[in-house]
Amino acid sequence: MSAPAGSAPLPHRSVANIRSPSGAGHHQSGPSTPLRAIPSNFGSPSSLRADEEIIIIEFGTRKLQVGFSGDPAPRGCIWFGPDQQRRVGDFREWQTDYRYDWRRAAAGGLWGKDHELWQYDVRGADLGLVGDRIERALREAFTKYMLIDSRPRRMVWILPSSLPIPLLSAALDSIFSRFQPPTVSLLSSSLALTVGAGVRSALVVDLGWSETVVTSVYEYREVGSSRSIRGGRMLVEQTHKLLARHLPEARGGQDNSQEYVLSFEECNDITTRMVWCNARQRSRPYQPSSDALATVQEQDETKLEGLSPGRMHGPVVIPLKSWLSPTSLELPFDALAEPCENTFFDSQYSHTSFDDHELPLHLLVYRSLLQLPVDVRALCMSRIIFTGGCSNVLGLRKRVFDEVSAIVRERGWDPVQGKGVQQFRTNPNLNLKRRVARQAGEGPTGVALQSGDGEEQDGVWHDAANTVPEPDPFEEQLKRGTDKRPRVQGEMRAIESLGAWSGASLITHLKASALATVDREAWLQHGAAGASKPSDVDHKAQRQSLGAGGLMRGSAAGSAWTLGIWGAT
Amino acid sequence: MAALTPYTYIQCPCSDSSTLGRSSGPNSPTGSEGDEDDRTFDPRAPRSNYSLYPLEYLLYCEDCHQIRCPRCVSEEIVTYYCPNCLFEVPSSTIKSEGNRCTRSCFQCPICIGPLAVTSVETKPDPGLLAATDNTAAPHSGPYALTCSYCNWSSTEVGIKFDKPNSIHAQLAKLRNGGTTRLTAKERKERRKDPSYRSQAAATTGSEGGAGPGKEEKLDLETQFANLKSFYQRQLADPNSADTGLASLSDLGFSSPTSLSRIMSIYTGGSLQDKKAKSRVGAMREALESDEGLQIADLDESAAIDKLQTDGHDGTASTAQLLDQIPNLGEAHLHGRSRFLSELRPIPYLLRAKRSKRCPVCRHIISKPEAKIQTTRFRIRLVAGSYIPSLAIRPLSLSSASSTSSSGASVPGALLEPLKPTHFLLTFRNPIFDTIKVTLGAPAKTPGRFPSKVTVLCPEFEIDANTDVWDEALKDSGERERERERERRARRGGFEESTTTSSSNNHNNNNNNNAQNQLEVGKIWERGRNWVSIVVEVVPPSLKLGDSTGDGGGVLREDEDVLEIPMFVRVEWESEGGGDEVAVAARDTSGGSKEAREKRELAYWCVLGLGRIRRS
Repeated sequence: MSAPAGSAPLPHRSVANIRSPSGAGHHQSGPSTPLRAIPSNFGSPSSLRADEEIIIIEFGTRKLQVGFSGDPAPRGCIWFGPDQQRRVGDFREWQTDYRYDWRRAAAGGLWGKDHELWQYDVRGADLGLVGDRIERALREAFTKYMLIDSRPRRMVWILPSSLPIPLLSAALDSIFSRFQPPTVSLLSSSLALTVGAGVRSALVVDLGWSETVVTSVYEYREVGSSRSIRGGRMLVEQTHKLLARHLPEARGGQDNSQEYVLSFEECNDITTRMVWCNARQRSRPYQPSSDALATVQEQDETKLEGLSPGRMHGPVVIPLKSWLSPTSLELPFDALAEPCENTFFDSQYSHTSFDDHELPLHLLVYRSLLQLPVDVRALCMSRIIFTGGCSNVLGLRKRVFDEVSAIVRERGWDPVQGKGVQQFRTNPNLNLKRRVARQAGEGPTGVALQSGDGEEQDGVWHDAANTVPEPDPFEEQLKRGTDKRPRVQGEMRAIESLGAWSGASLITHLKASALATVDREAWLQHGAAGASKPSDVDHKAQRQSLGAGGLMRGSAAGSAWTLGIWGAT
Repeated sequence: MAALTPYTYIQCPCSDSSTLGRSSGPNSPTGSEGDEDDRTFDPRAPRSNYSLYPLEYLLYCEDCHQIRCPRCVSEEIVTYYCPNCLFEVPSSTIKSEGNRCTRSCFQCPICIGPLAVTSVETKPDPGLLAATDNTAAPHSGPYALTCSYCNWSSTEVGIKFDKPNSIHAQLAKLRNGGTTRLTAKERKERRKDPSYRSQAAATTGSEGGAGPGKEEKLDLETQFANLKSFYQRQLADPNSADTGLASLSDLGFSSPTSLSRIMSIYTGGSLQDKKAKSRVGAMREALESDEGLQIADLDESAAIDKLQTDGHDGTASTAQLLDQIPNLGEAHLHGRSRFLSELRPIPYLLRAKRSKRCPVCRHIISKPEAKIQTTRFRIRLVAGSYIPSLAIRPLSLSSASSTSSSGASVPGALLEPLKPTHFLLTFRNPIFDTIKVTLGAPAKTPGRFPSKVTVLCPEFEIDANTDVWDEALKDSGERERERERERRARRGGFEESTTTSSSNNHNNNNNNNAQNQLEVGKIWERGRNWVSIVVEVVPPSLKLGDSTGDGGGVLREDEDVLEIPMFVRVEWESEGGGDEVAVAARDTSGGSKEAREKRELAYWCVLGLGRIRRS
């Protein structure tokens, strides 16, 4: 998914792309050259039905959000759970003597898994089951929240851009055969979030359930994405560990046969209710603090100190029901910050000890910013959007933000670090000349300076950042439009997005096109195999056009449609 | 372990993977073993839970002669109504106001009980002198929503109302804690009010920020509205700064727009307007809160402090949060609605009465009365009156081993592992034609613990569901008489056939010659429109010692329930010239064909017989 950051000068997106109508069959007719986005006045008559309700569905790992386009918030939200997987007419959960036997489910390796719609690891996954679950959830949403009949309606799906194609295919199979939507348009969630925040570029930090994904969006295009397994699931497991550690009999460790001593539901509940995140501590001693440390950090510490004495006392009583016998657990309030600490930061380990798939959040954010080209980074770093279920953990967003800011202050944008570099940098003989030479030709913005600073040691990379860019007509044309008012860039800033669902609602309401539009007939005929691979069409163009335009090309041709970024296997 | 009454589930034929658009066979290893046509349906496969229905949930299309399950009907809305106040809601309101009751119907956020509007002022307490001025105006004063079940009151979250009616509208203007907020409509009016700023803001966006809402935190609804108007402005008027470069970009960048411009010349219409629209101008991003940009407030230390002071009891549970609707009046959902004090009364979800159509022939198969208060249906073709119903009863044969067998004959008793047990399946024919039933069951049930199943009589006929008096009065028809001769052990009137208890007694009385009757290929018992057959099962022993496969060494939920998949095939010849409604309807569909038509219906069903005793 992540296009390498420096791959090409990114072409900019035009309003024409945004403005072209989405959805139903405007690609079926009209004077369309296959490779173009079609302006709205040549759509087929079906797009004239403007007041037709379009259903927007946001797929998450654990929930489904459904609503109509144009609404500010989804109408209904369906969580997946074991109760949903029962047969129709099985009312045992309402019986007074019935309790969900989570121990058996956990023994089957299902602790919490039955609350997930899918796992991204599709090896051995029952895709038909995924389709069934989506169908049932959607049917419930339609009946209970949307109150709609079963006339075919166009759908817009919001999907994580890293969704594997078998899952997407299973979902499409199920929906197309059961609900008869004429078309399903696909939108990536990070893009929708960006639109929902009102910006064109953003760094989307999705603190999701199965993993945390940091996606950089530049001019409505996903230009990079990196992931870490530190997500909600891990947080709940850490909470379970914490609770299990404090249980009176777990200390003896006689209950080794069971991996889990508490039910997932309970741990999940406690996690959402009680777990919070510590504010940033003072920097670890092994980190060389640079002289550029700002006063902000000092304020953080004083604030922390001001709060901490209160927090030290006062245990929190947590009732537990799913243990061997119902009990209530007394925990110090500080202990409830441990799961979050262990899950997302693991600050007791050195930065170098993590694998790529388990980077702590602040490193993940920092690295994904670091991998971006300078101008993209400048825009993205001042448009950080936190989203996902774990962003509800109190204090977590601020913590990540502060940690990243601290790293930036300490290291700048230097991909190389370590003692050797430190010596090299402090060596005045080596350093002086270059710096002078660089600074002469460079803009005075702080970021650029820092990055230039860092790239001196890296012989391969720094050229792209420092050479004078050749005049790009589109760039200039863009600048004409935008630069009347200065864009905020180069400073760390977090902004709030309405959420992916609401963003997609906006996109659809404004009749912008989706990343890919799948036609029902075409899908039922060919399935995922019928989608022309983006690589077949025009790899470069496809890659660069994660925004609306490029992917509409595929669907515009009628015969050749793609699955957008999801088809890029 | 709870007792289990025997049950029957029917798989709608629509769930057969071959009838779906594309099979996902190779992808579903647990769903169905083998690709051959006669594969066994596995009731324990996770997918089966999505296709099995009790008979009562199924409908039947008379024209297609097919079972229709909730998944394979197309629905139409008859009326919308609030389940609490039973008022009908017009569909236009659904579109504009949403899916909740907009009158005064609310659910308690704690216990989802119905809330009632009560006056906040308590009844005059004789012990208090202060109560005297309350008595002066008993019906005035602020009102609150209270739950009569858990005693929650909206005063707990600081919400009081001035009027006892139209609570929904009042609540929309109130934040938790009692502070007011502007609704979307008011905000729009206010924005319009100072000299139409929003229209002018397109060209000079900076002035738009001078509004009063610049500094305040946007709630979700406002942010959405601001963003929407911002985007619309940007899309409507691209920046007019492009002069020379516009043509260049039109050619090289997005030639459809230039195409559209050319076309617009031919199609007529204001050239200037089209040109302005087709001009490529970059949409800028939102820069201030009036345009929908919201800087995140990351400082949540206040909420953390509150979390500490309130503790676990002060927070809302997951279930309670689930019932909350997204609160458009709040700033953002991050960390919000975590505390009990942030919960809001839940307006009742509206419901809809739906009529159902067959998706194939578009005939209505279920249509409720439009009136909300009635629960009657005008049309309702339930499957129970078209396909044979199935009752299961344990059968004790040997009176010798009295203790165990009597235990087994009690419905819901645990089944002994590795001990043959007999069950009586009673098929009852609801239609007015004689049907021929063919059963198919795997010799061993699928799953980790296969039990042996023997259907003693897999093929039999059930007589038509004729009128009781018909049978008594007219002794006509050659076939009927023939059948009468065939019928053995036909015991008396229909009372016995309808009440299973009497036949049960009978079986117990005749235990001795029951052994004789248990023959392969013979029907156990037969009645006017029903037939009982015997199924012998040998439950497995639930030993988990060597289970190395999936699932580990623990029984999963319901794995100890003995379930038999059974393929039922029903054949019948529909008769013409009958005076019954169903037959008449079938005839009209048949049209000019000959009077007797062969029909068949085949489906899988699952019989849950009972729990197996764990060893």
